Amino acid sequence: MIDLQNISKIYGSDVHGLRDINLSIEPGEFVCIVGTSGAGKTTLAKLLIAEERPTRGKISIGGWDITRIKKRDIPYLRRQIGVVFQDFKLLKQKTVWENVAFALEVSGETNRRIRETVPHVLKVVGLEQKAHRFPHQISGGEQQRVVIARALVHRPKILLADEPTGNLDTINTADVIQVLKKINDFGSTVVLVTHNREVVNELRSRVITLADGRIISDKKHGKYLIQS
Amino acid sequence: MFIITPVGRVISFAVKNITRNAWIGLATVLVLVLALLSVNVLVGVNALASSAVTILEKKIDVSVYFKPETPNAILDQARSYMASIPQVERVTIMTAEEALTAFTERHKNEPTILDALNELEENPLGATMVIKARKTTDYPFLMENLNNPQFSFAIENKTYDDHSIAIQQVEQIADSVRYFGLILTLIFAIFSALIVYNAIRVAIYTQREEIGIMRLVGASNAFVRLPLILDAIFFAILSLAIAAGLVALIISFGEPYLVSFYDGEDPGLKSYFVDNLLPLIIAQGMAIIIIVSLSSWAAVGRYLKK
Repeated sequence: MIDLQNISKIYGSDVHGLRDINLSIEPGEFVCIVGTSGAGKTTLAKLLIAEERPTRGKISIGGWDITRIKKRDIPYLRRQIGVVFQDFKLLKQKTVWENVAFALEVSGETNRRIRETVPHVLKVVGLEQKAHRFPHQISGGEQQRVVIARALVHRPKILLADEPTGNLDTINTADVIQVLKKINDFGSTVVLVTHNREVVNELRSRVITLADGRIISDKKHGKYLIQS
Repeated sequence: MFIITPVGRVISFAVKNITRNAWIGLATVLVLVLALLSVNVLVGVNALASSAVTILEKKIDVSVYFKPETPNAILDQARSYMASIPQVERVTIMTAEEALTAFTERHKNEPTILDALNELEENPLGATMVIKARKTTDYPFLMENLNNPQFSFAIENKTYDDHSIAIQQVEQIADSVRYFGLILTLIFAIFSALIVYNAIRVAIYTQREEIGIMRLVGASNAFVRLPLILDAIFFAILSLAIAAGLVALIISFGEPYLVSFYDGEDPGLKSYFVDNLLPLIIAQGMAIIIIVSLSSWAAVGRYLKK
């Protein structure tokens, strides 16, 4: 599903974001990528959605070599990978329903498909009752669930969540992680980039630990190893 | 791979952009209108200059006054000879009687002149031949031909109303106006491109969050780009309509004041714009749409490269 071979990312002449990363993620896996600030977690996430390109190595997603992906093909990649960020990135003037529908609208989907898909994904994240509320009228956890719903509208095989609980309290964090687990149970691959020790230790899923741009640990049922 | 984007949705996004950035749009339209007006001033000056030249050219002719006793046979000979020259457009003869009638009519309110005329027993006026050349440059050649010994002895006088200096002056003024008008138009075209470029940059800035999310969730570059280009094209079309209205208004109010400069004749400004309405609108519309499309394309392109 996701295959990284000898990936390095160097900024400028000597700032190493990632060093010689070899990684393979199978379909349906729930993978936590952990590490301290500057370890290379976000760089890895940006490479997966082609926001940045590796300096060396090869990245394949579902057999598609995206190492030197053309700009015009990036939208197709982003429809195959749902993305969730820490800062929500919701449009304040749009309702929950409109925010989710927006991803389909800008991809040129028909109104009929939008009317069918949006209620379905809102149900998956448990927000069907709050479809007509605006972002400021719902909690942080609910806002993040809207973002997850938006990421799901294209039925992506992979969901990439970069610090999705970074701005949330414990209860909202638990809600969001439950939603991610539910999505994983449906068969989607979930890549969770986080530095939340409790979340990682509770999930007991595969944990890849990064430090100084290198993979220092990759455990099938791992725990959070880094000392804060 | 190619993404087919529903036209309706692109238009709906474009309309939203316009309503959100109405003031920037207004400023853009204002500059585009000024650019179009400068082009139309140039077109108008050309039309006025060519109309002035035509009027002056119409006034040029040679009048040949024959002696009163000249027989009709000589007059006919002179007319036939001059009419046979290819450079001659028209020859008209006014007989002595017709000349007298015209003279009396012209001076009907001047009793002194009419009394003096009555004192004479015979018609003092001779026949007059008026020659009109096809080109103003042919008159010197025609004047030479009037020296034909078959009828030159009967000629009492010749007058050649030479307006060539006036024509030259009109053409020189028109050339200068065209030259400076062209510079002005180019300056306005560059300003228009820059203003549209900046208006689109500001529109992108005000919607950077939305555009960022669009790209994140898989919107194609075309979907990001097209609404903004449509906005610019809308501004161009609106400017064209406003400029056309203003030009019509200026001509309607201004043309009557120009009549006195044209010796009471029609300056031909309104008729020129009416006759050439479609080509003028198409040419200016195409030019302004191309300018705004390219500048907005460049503005969005710069953002999309980031």
